[in-house]
Amino acid sequence: MYEGQALYHPKGWWTRYVFSQDHKVIALQYTCVALAIGLTGMFLSLIMRMQLGFPGLFESIDAGNYYQDVTMHGMIMVIYLLTALFLGGFGNYLIPLMLGSRDMAFPFVNMLSFWVYFLSVIILVCSFFVESGPTGAGWTLYPPQSILPGTPGADGAGILLMLGSLAVFIIAFTMGGLNYITTVLQSRAKGMNMMRMPLIIWCLFLATFLGLLAFPALLVGAIMLIFDRVLETSFFMPEIFKGGEVLNYGGGSPVLFQHLFWFFGHPEVYIIALPAFGIISELISCHARKNIFGYNMMVWALIAIAGIAFIVWAHHMYVAGMNPYLGFFFATTTLIIAVPTAIKVYNWVITLWNANIKMTVPMLYCLAFLITFLIGGLTGLFLGNVAVDVPLSDTYFVVGHFHMVMAVSPVLALYGGLYHWFPSVTGRMLDDRLGKIHFWITFVGTYLIYFPMHYIGFLGVPRRYYSNEQYDFIPQSVNDLNQFITICALIVGAAQFILLYNFVVSAVRGKEAGSNPWGACTLEWQTLESPPGHGNWGDKLPVVYRWPYDYGLPGATDDFVPQNVPDEQIT
Amino acid sequence: MGLTHGQVFVYTLMTVISILFLFVTNAYLFRMNFEDWRSVPIPSLLWVNTGSLVLASAGMAWAINGAKKSDLQTIKVGLAIGGLFAIVFVSGQTWAWQQLTTSGFFIAANPANTFFYLITALHALHVLGGMAAWFYVTLKTFKQDASILQPESIGLLGTYWHYMLLVWVMLFGLLLLT
Repeated sequence: MYEGQALYHPKGWWTRYVFSQDHKVIALQYTCVALAIGLTGMFLSLIMRMQLGFPGLFESIDAGNYYQDVTMHGMIMVIYLLTALFLGGFGNYLIPLMLGSRDMAFPFVNMLSFWVYFLSVIILVCSFFVESGPTGAGWTLYPPQSILPGTPGADGAGILLMLGSLAVFIIAFTMGGLNYITTVLQSRAKGMNMMRMPLIIWCLFLATFLGLLAFPALLVGAIMLIFDRVLETSFFMPEIFKGGEVLNYGGGSPVLFQHLFWFFGHPEVYIIALPAFGIISELISCHARKNIFGYNMMVWALIAIAGIAFIVWAHHMYVAGMNPYLGFFFATTTLIIAVPTAIKVYNWVITLWNANIKMTVPMLYCLAFLITFLIGGLTGLFLGNVAVDVPLSDTYFVVGHFHMVMAVSPVLALYGGLYHWFPSVTGRMLDDRLGKIHFWITFVGTYLIYFPMHYIGFLGVPRRYYSNEQYDFIPQSVNDLNQFITICALIVGAAQFILLYNFVVSAVRGKEAGSNPWGACTLEWQTLESPPGHGNWGDKLPVVYRWPYDYGLPGATDDFVPQNVPDEQIT
Repeated sequence: MGLTHGQVFVYTLMTVISILFLFVTNAYLFRMNFEDWRSVPIPSLLWVNTGSLVLASAGMAWAINGAKKSDLQTIKVGLAIGGLFAIVFVSGQTWAWQQLTTSGFFIAANPANTFFYLITALHALHVLGGMAAWFYVTLKTFKQDASILQPESIGLLGTYWHYMLLVWVMLFGLLLLT
């Protein structure tokens, strides 16, 4: 919002709770829908694990269903859970509050963006109920198979509903993204210059920038794939013979789709990773009572990551048959992007050095993030090199890698963020004991699920295979390990209900939090009311005098100085 | 940066739309090198449509001028011309598609045909999106008196109109030259 802009006031129940233009309500709406669809995605993964761990136990899981589960699990988790929750949920809640603004720059567009996202989820869920079922093409939806009979969902509405849902999601994301860019650039409080913004705002800002420039590639690819499927055009479809009969396609290039998809797909993983980094930066400094080490370099590293993210995409295509010199180029840029990422990890670790670490639940999640992100990042270096990637491509090594960096670490960061900001949203603390139980089961459990996958990947066990039983090169020990992983997955899956229970019970009966239970410096904890009321700041907008990490300031009595406290008021 | 909220929003939106058309252009240039490509004869109606879009832009420029001088009548006339000729443009595009289909240039018959329809349809869709904003601004302008003008909204709408014209000129040039 800008100076003098009138704040929209809800007129009734519908405009207060349903078609709300308040960023905090919209954030909650995004969070609830994303978590609901995420639970569906988790359930799908458990079905997959049942097949892998105990093949044939459930006769209803056949190869077709299995591929549908694989595809929908992947797409739901990456796009509809993680992107929506980090940007729609955390972004919507934190950006105006942390910048000292009353609301987003365009509250009406913000409200629209949620409902269009909700529509995209509805369209996606519809694909479960059509005759062909959802698409089973893999989350990457590679043509020609994704639109040819034989792939689940291809000869019915499944693939079309998926592509349509993605297009609608991209429209929602674009609306939301434009709002975030405008708000960050235009609606900061007096004294809040760009280098006094909390790191999570930088992360959300750059993730939005990545998304706005990367999602159009997916949109173009999706539209062209719809054309190929519905109108029998040949953007991506080469000449195909089916049972001796030539199909109506010809001349298209499947590799073109891969380039379009991965030009989106790689920035997408940073759209997920960057907000996770931001959450960790906030949590680490607050719960270690120490300013983040190297704020400037953290910002420059983020900018470097965002920039380089656009020139690494073909490391997903080393085995697609492209020119080896291109492989060399993309391997180089992939290794280069590891440098700013590593700088961030070093800075987090150095922040912890000699700090007054409080072993709260958010801090536990931070430490777990550092460990799991390190593992995932290191295995990424293996895959980033062409020669090493060729034998590991499409094996479980890749599955282990991307789950570590995309599923385990960002989800740990997400949980840490939920525990940290729950008091701001509800005015109550989440139960600490339940939080620690949930943490330990999740952290140890996900480690036990995904670390062994690197070993079976090394053995050459392929990803996306429905059954491993008929291959001589796959020893029985792999099947035993798959059983173990499945049992761990079931336990971790069940443990997520501890978090849900904690949410519901604590929101109603949790310990009252007060306005700033963690002693944080950032503005979202400095509102007059807690939880913040409509308009966030009452009559007067805050003025910012310092950066957001004045923890342990020499000479101050308290071990933190909020951003809106001038020097002369420090006791 | 001295920009207003609306300016940041619209300029970022224009950047995003540019990326979209850049990708379509990229795919077009990639695909046209394959041996099954047969260029589409560009209907001369497209020149008329281009003229309509120029008139639409001129109308919006007129509206912007009126907003600067706080002349409500000029704004109304400018907005009406801008909206009318944008609709004429989109209608002309659909007529051009009909002409091509009648002449046997079906969408799936050849990749060049498909790209023609895709490119022109995507552009027309974005013009229609602009019409949604036009409708909102025009409604507010016609409902209110001269004391409540929205120079910024009209300016941004005009910027978007000129941008749509620029994108069309580039896409039309691509279709003509290839």
